[in-house]
Amino acid sequence: MATAEVAVAQPERTARHIAPRVVRRTVAFYAFVAPWLICFVALDIIPIVLGVLTSMTDYDGLNLATVKWMGLKNYARAFTDSDVAYSFGRSVLWSAINTPTWIVLSFTLALILNQAVKGRDFFRTLYYLPSVVPVVAVARIWAIFLDTNNGLLNGILSLFRPGTAVRWLSDYALPACTAISVWGGLGGGMIIFLAGLQGIPQELEEAALIDGANKLRVFRHITIPLMTPLIFFQLIMALITSLQTFALPMIVYGGGAMTGGVARAVYLYVINTYRHIFAFQRFGYGTALLWLMSIVIMGLTLVVFRTARYWVYYESEAAGGAA
Amino acid sequence: MTVRYIRMHPTRALSSFLLYALLIVVAFCIGLPVFWFLISSIKTESEYIAYPIKFLPKVVQWKNYVDAVTLIDYWGYASHSLYLALMYSTLCLITSSAAGFAFARFKVRGSNTLFSIILAMMIVPGMVTLIPQFIVYSRLHLTNTYWPWFLWGVAGAPFHIFLFRQFFTTIPAQLEEAAEVDGCTPFRVFWQIFLPNSKPVLATSFIFNFSSTWSDWFGPLIYLDDKRTTLAVKINHGYQNAHGNPLMMPTLAAATIYALPLIILFFIGQKYIIQGVVTSGIKG
Repeated sequence: MATAEVAVAQPERTARHIAPRVVRRTVAFYAFVAPWLICFVALDIIPIVLGVLTSMTDYDGLNLATVKWMGLKNYARAFTDSDVAYSFGRSVLWSAINTPTWIVLSFTLALILNQAVKGRDFFRTLYYLPSVVPVVAVARIWAIFLDTNNGLLNGILSLFRPGTAVRWLSDYALPACTAISVWGGLGGGMIIFLAGLQGIPQELEEAALIDGANKLRVFRHITIPLMTPLIFFQLIMALITSLQTFALPMIVYGGGAMTGGVARAVYLYVINTYRHIFAFQRFGYGTALLWLMSIVIMGLTLVVFRTARYWVYYESEAAGGAA
Repeated sequence: MTVRYIRMHPTRALSSFLLYALLIVVAFCIGLPVFWFLISSIKTESEYIAYPIKFLPKVVQWKNYVDAVTLIDYWGYASHSLYLALMYSTLCLITSSAAGFAFARFKVRGSNTLFSIILAMMIVPGMVTLIPQFIVYSRLHLTNTYWPWFLWGVAGAPFHIFLFRQFFTTIPAQLEEAAEVDGCTPFRVFWQIFLPNSKPVLATSFIFNFSSTWSDWFGPLIYLDDKRTTLAVKINHGYQNAHGNPLMMPTLAAATIYALPLIILFFIGQKYIIQGVVTSGIKG
């Protein structure tokens, strides 16, 4: 009798004990994510839906009472707009130059500063510092460094070829802005690669060296594969940010929100779009343009994700394959 | 006498020389523009526009720095920048760490879906929400106020939620289970066990958010009018003479003072930042 009673009572007590725990944990989870979740709906979901609707109207920021439904006309117009085509081309070129330059340079710096060299901490700090400088100051620093008449760069070049007066910011706008952008982003990229390099188990490289592999082979067959997840992460981030670049050229050429003075070579897609929105109050058309670029960016991100299995090394997969 | 000279192998000596040469060349490329900027900020206008260039000023012009803080209400705009940066990064820290804790520690119905949303938002281009949000705020008459920064802060940031979640998953589960057995509420586990053990990530997240808000130029430009705006906007085109022409010298000095707090903040938080990035393991 006694044993039977216990046997019945046991699951009941356990069930009573567990059910509230699940509920309690669920309540706790939603309490902790509530601030984010509520704001996510209010500040992301609702504006995104409104943004889609706006892109199908002729909204100019004021005419809410008389706003007209345009359907897909704004989108169709984008495909015949030569400024859109031109600025899109510039953005693609900008991204195609910026992304690899930034990744290769910041990875190289991380590799060098991962060695046991004297003064390593000093160089790490020095290389990181530019990424702390606000973009407004970065633009100023470079504007006067590259200035045709008073800039230091032409001044130094004049020592070798007197009278050098290259108009860097107008004749070489794309490489100049790339240099500025990479200069500002190098430290941030380097520090993430450094973190990754420090995560590589030393035994692995040492074992390979003992087995007679030279440094180059260790680099090629151990360091690089183990770093591919991080390179992949940086590549995605770089693509997303570089295709959306607008602030740097706008500040360098000093046009404010009107973006009038930006050199044609760096007249990027988002700059053209903001010109429509803030200079001409074309919120409807402007939002449509932003959506088109977002679709391109998200599509490109997906494509890069699809390529991942051909070149990104995942430890768990390799372990599974070996077993 | 058994002094043994450890001689470097010639090829090793050469490669170490090349390494240092490279490090110094890179240091020059990185430092030269800044150096030129600082030198220029203590020149007179005529020295600054001299052609061929004058390397050093005859007399150091501290006056440029005095002009920088007196020609405009410098400290007023600086206080706006400080206010927004402090408010945003504090709120964002609270929301992001709380959400990160939830995602790291509770596997409940819906938690996986919500975490996929966080990951997705990390790769959704920011411009998707920037303009629609601006339209909503301006229709609610919240432009020209600091409310948008308050709300952005309360919303947290997907990347920082991810950062906290990554870090919190490394804290051993036993710690929390023991606390739970002792009758600790999840809030107390979070507040008294997790947060005190997360200083590197807290510092990293705070410094990144503080810096990005202090540096942000486009947000204040489109949201705030000339009276309420921040240093970032004001420095860019705030210094003008009576004819509306830009005054170069105070602008350079002002930009230097403007960048300084972030550099100081970086030096204070340096060891935390590196630790924070390493431990949170941003590995895609």
